[in-house]
Amino acid sequence: MKPEPKELRVEEMILNMGPQHPSTHGVLRLVVTLYGEEVADVVPHIGYLHTGFEKVMENRTYHQNITFTPRMDYLHSFAHDLAYALSVEKLLGAEVPERARVIRVILNELSRIASHLIFVATGLLDLGAMTPYFYAFRERETILDLFEWVTGQRFHHNYIRIGGLKEDLPEEFVPELEKFLATFDHRVDDYQNLFVGSPIFEGRARGVGVVPPEVAIAHGLTGGSLRASGVNYDVRKAYPYCGYETYDFEVPLGKNGDTWDRMVIRLEEMRQSARIVRQALERLEPGPIRDPNPQFSFPDKKLLDRSMEALIYHFKLATEGFEVPPGEAYVPTESARGELGYYIVADGGSLPYRVKVRTPSFFNLQSLPHAARGHFFQDLVAILASFDPVLGDVDR
Amino acid sequence: MTRREKARAYAKERGFVVYEAHDLLHIELPLADFREAMAAFKEMGFNYLADVIGIDYLEYPEEKPERFAVVYELVSLPGYKDGDGSRIYPRVWVPEKNPRLPSVTDLWPSANFPEREVFDLFGLVFEGHPDLRKILTPDDYEGHPLRKDHPLGETPTLFKDGRYINPEQFRAGLKGKDKGLTGWRGGRRKGERR
Amino acid sequence: MGLDAYERDFRELEKEGILFTTLEKLIAWGRSNSLWPVTFGLACCAIEMMASTDARHDLSRFGSEVFRASPRQADVMIVAGRLSKKMAPVMRRVYDQMADPKWVISMGACASSGGMFNNYAIVQSVDSVVPVDVFVPGCPPRPEALIYAVMQLQKKIRGQAYDEGGRKLPPVEAWAREGL
Repeated sequence: MKPEPKELRVEEMILNMGPQHPSTHGVLRLVVTLYGEEVADVVPHIGYLHTGFEKVMENRTYHQNITFTPRMDYLHSFAHDLAYALSVEKLLGAEVPERARVIRVILNELSRIASHLIFVATGLLDLGAMTPYFYAFRERETILDLFEWVTGQRFHHNYIRIGGLKEDLPEEFVPELEKFLATFDHRVDDYQNLFVGSPIFEGRARGVGVVPPEVAIAHGLTGGSLRASGVNYDVRKAYPYCGYETYDFEVPLGKNGDTWDRMVIRLEEMRQSARIVRQALERLEPGPIRDPNPQFSFPDKKLLDRSMEALIYHFKLATEGFEVPPGEAYVPTESARGELGYYIVADGGSLPYRVKVRTPSFFNLQSLPHAARGHFFQDLVAILASFDPVLGDVDR
Repeated sequence: MTRREKARAYAKERGFVVYEAHDLLHIELPLADFREAMAAFKEMGFNYLADVIGIDYLEYPEEKPERFAVVYELVSLPGYKDGDGSRIYPRVWVPEKNPRLPSVTDLWPSANFPEREVFDLFGLVFEGHPDLRKILTPDDYEGHPLRKDHPLGETPTLFKDGRYINPEQFRAGLKGKDKGLTGWRGGRRKGERR
Repeated sequence: MGLDAYERDFRELEKEGILFTTLEKLIAWGRSNSLWPVTFGLACCAIEMMASTDARHDLSRFGSEVFRASPRQADVMIVAGRLSKKMAPVMRRVYDQMADPKWVISMGACASSGGMFNNYAIVQSVDSVVPVDVFVPGCPPRPEALIYAVMQLQKKIRGQAYDEGGRKLPPVEAWAREGL
């Protein structure tokens, strides 16, 4: 007589992917409930990088806050500078001159390319490919050199000012940028050849972590991850700012909303960003670099030796800060991760009353459980990498 | 008629305070009509909740109806079905004595994390939230950091040569409350005349 | 001239390829030239730490061949980024799990002193949680600065580091302090 097969007892295992982990893109803690190898539920615990930015920004003048803004999303740091400056300029009614707007677009897109390069490097490192890391960082070093020429710092530039920019471009910048752009498209093709089409990448990324568009929108997903699901929402096209409506670029869309789409879309976005930079370079005309209104705009550094008024204004602006009329403003912008905006409440004083940063990664992380359920634990790493979270953005 | 205009008409019809400032359409909802109005906005086609912002108006120079306000940012997402890109900013005033208000996670699941954040940083309780607990501050941290009466928690700096700087005193003049080290009282706060 | 017989024999034998050293120096040489960091990147400084391992500023030529994820297999913990109070117990736990001898490099202004964040959420110096050997200033420090810090740590491990008073700095900070 054959023995009857016994009922197998299934027990779920709760695994902690702790804050210190090589693949969590920062200090993110995931508590994963597993049935064997299959993920039943993922609960993200955040707050391990909470810095209290919003409280600190209430205690510094509007100008001093420019040092805080890039440190939230440290990869696409210029986007935060830009979003903050746009919100404050809206409250002040400042007008940014054309040259400053074009340079802002150039630096924003270069910063976006640098961020996507790190995405390619670390995302593929999580999947096990070590070579793209070194290739992508080679390009990133060139971009950071360009930034150092202009702003003096590799990232965390402190180059943007309310009403424009800090100072004009150095002469070497445009030829160096053109040299970079000449080879960049070939380099992106190199990256494409490195992993797209590789059977390992196809196996690990196709059909993994599918997020349907309704689920994505309901959970507040934005950016490249939302466009991978087929929703054509790019803030640069939907609510243009800083002159983006005058540039000719495409927004790449995905079809399935899986990890493959999310990763390949960002390669295409790099190409489109380079396209925007080329167009911006053509329309770079000489002109002022800041709104000349002395109430909030710093005078030119060269005048400080000669003009007493310039010295006095500079002193008052640096110590007391400028006053912003009461009101609340929000300008949505597109960061490499999604929709970014600063909701600033001003009360008429020289310090902001409340600064709320609508960061994309905070909202993108809410879609992680839905994308990862039902997949294997290995796929969880790939899915998390494809959402491109930056924990500085999430925790602020 | 765009959804923005529809929302404005809906609010005017019910007598809510509606104003537009810096291209933002603000709608003030009374706490009693809050759930109904938000459900109506969802029906109208605002399918995307972009943000939940908590504001503590304790030290605001102008008098406000209550101490706390929670501002929601509702968007009709362009690029999906027939979204037209309208953005509205309904807000609800929350009293200090009873800081409770209904949650909107059943209408927009993207409110989950930001409502937890407002609870953590301000202490406003969202009724009906599936998992209301602290999200950003450590689990044993007491208090709600972003409230105006909660201190920034600055550590005074002691330099090697014996100098001692208390950052609060250093910056006191900027906030206008006291004269600080320089005697200058800056900014326009709490009805101060220039 | 002025070399005694011992010195002369010494140098002649060295020319023939025989190396003389003490066990202490040999072990210090081995430890300093193969410092494997544990991945403890927290915020922006982590990006500069990653940039110091790329092809331009190659940290692995100084011995940091791999960044081990497991603290048991690592020698040095480079605390790169702002340490929030929620993360501090986790960091202490990772430090405790590292095997002796272990060193800590506090990279960046935020790790060394709280940086620009003097508030309720950031630990004002990593030194109050773990004993730090080398502090690196900068926001963020350039990759070259981090490499310089690693080189200074190597000097310290070999016993060649002196403070302003001329006193020799202990090769392993944790063994020199009490109660850690």
